[in-house]
Amino acid sequence: MSAVQGELAAVLIVILVGFLPNEVWRVLGVLLGRGLDENSLWMQWVRAVASALLAAVVARLVLTPSGALVALPLWLRVAAIGAGVAGFAMVRRSVLAGVLAAEAVLILGAWWLGIA
Amino acid sequence: MNPPSESDAAATPTGLWLLRGLRGSLSVPAAVLFATFVGFGGLLHDVGFPVGAGVLSTFLVWALPAQVILIGGLASGTPLPALAVAVCLSGVRLLPMVVAVMPLMRGRRPRLLTEIVCAHFVAVTLWVEAFRLLPGVPSVGRPPYALGLGLGLVGQSMAGTAIGYYLTGGLPGPLAVALLLLTPISFTILLVRNARQTVDWLAIAFGAGLAPLVVGSAGGLDLFWSGVGGGTLAFFAARLMERRA
Repeated sequence: MSAVQGELAAVLIVILVGFLPNEVWRVLGVLLGRGLDENSLWMQWVRAVASALLAAVVARLVLTPSGALVALPLWLRVAAIGAGVAGFAMVRRSVLAGVLAAEAVLILGAWWLGIA
Repeated sequence: MNPPSESDAAATPTGLWLLRGLRGSLSVPAAVLFATFVGFGGLLHDVGFPVGAGVLSTFLVWALPAQVILIGGLASGTPLPALAVAVCLSGVRLLPMVVAVMPLMRGRRPRLLTEIVCAHFVAVTLWVEAFRLLPGVPSVGRPPYALGLGLGLVGQSMAGTAIGYYLTGGLPGPLAVALLLLTPISFTILLVRNARQTVDWLAIAFGAGLAPLVVGSAGGLDLFWSGVGGGTLAFFAARLMERRA
């Protein structure tokens, strides 16, 4: 990670690139109060971008991981995510059930393949 | 919890409301949150980000998607200005959340500084928990109660971040990769849970579908193209489909 040289640089990055651009919205939320139409076209676009951004982050972590997940074959990573969504949908839309289903598939798969 | 009468409530010291808020933060959603931050700690270790700054990001940023975009982006060499834009875009969803929850947190005599401090703790879990717990708290006690609730959730998450970091280093075998899967799987489920309209599903499909296609974009703008591009495509596609229907 070339951008991070030492702890101090990392702290500065967290503050300038993480904290400030994110906190702006919380402060704005307080200032704007109720005078905001949640269903305006502008807000609809913003929500679509926020969802796509999050989906893109997930896809990156699963499809082109940078760390230890690389050791697992692509099909197993995708199968685990699929099992998570299935578990969530089938067991009373429970987040916990989904997470457990995904982890079970991943751990069993990795163990069966003798990886990691 | 039965709401005590307002006169009893006025006699209750602020610190006690704070403690009650802290107690309220020990719950099942908090446990799920803890686990996802253990996963984030694992990610920190995986990409070699310093643990102190990582735990600080849990306190200051307090929004896992933004934190993962930041750390994942740094790991893939995204330039800092592009990362700041991506983090900023991912934080937009906090605005309507703050607007929705502030009337509950505000108490009787609202002060701007108190409100801004309380608003810092607004994130998905606090948002859900505030709607569950705050209506049972008399209005004088609400700002300190909300603060206690927020501090409790943030504290547990900071502990989770640190534990995940050191656990991944010491955990051999499939358990270490299981930890790393926690972040993507909990985000996937959150996305699916919050998707209600066509535009939401399209945004998920375009964002995830574009991501592998734009890997290695010039200037490290992958997230920008898949996020802003995918979201904009989804927005217009959904409007077209509505018009046809």
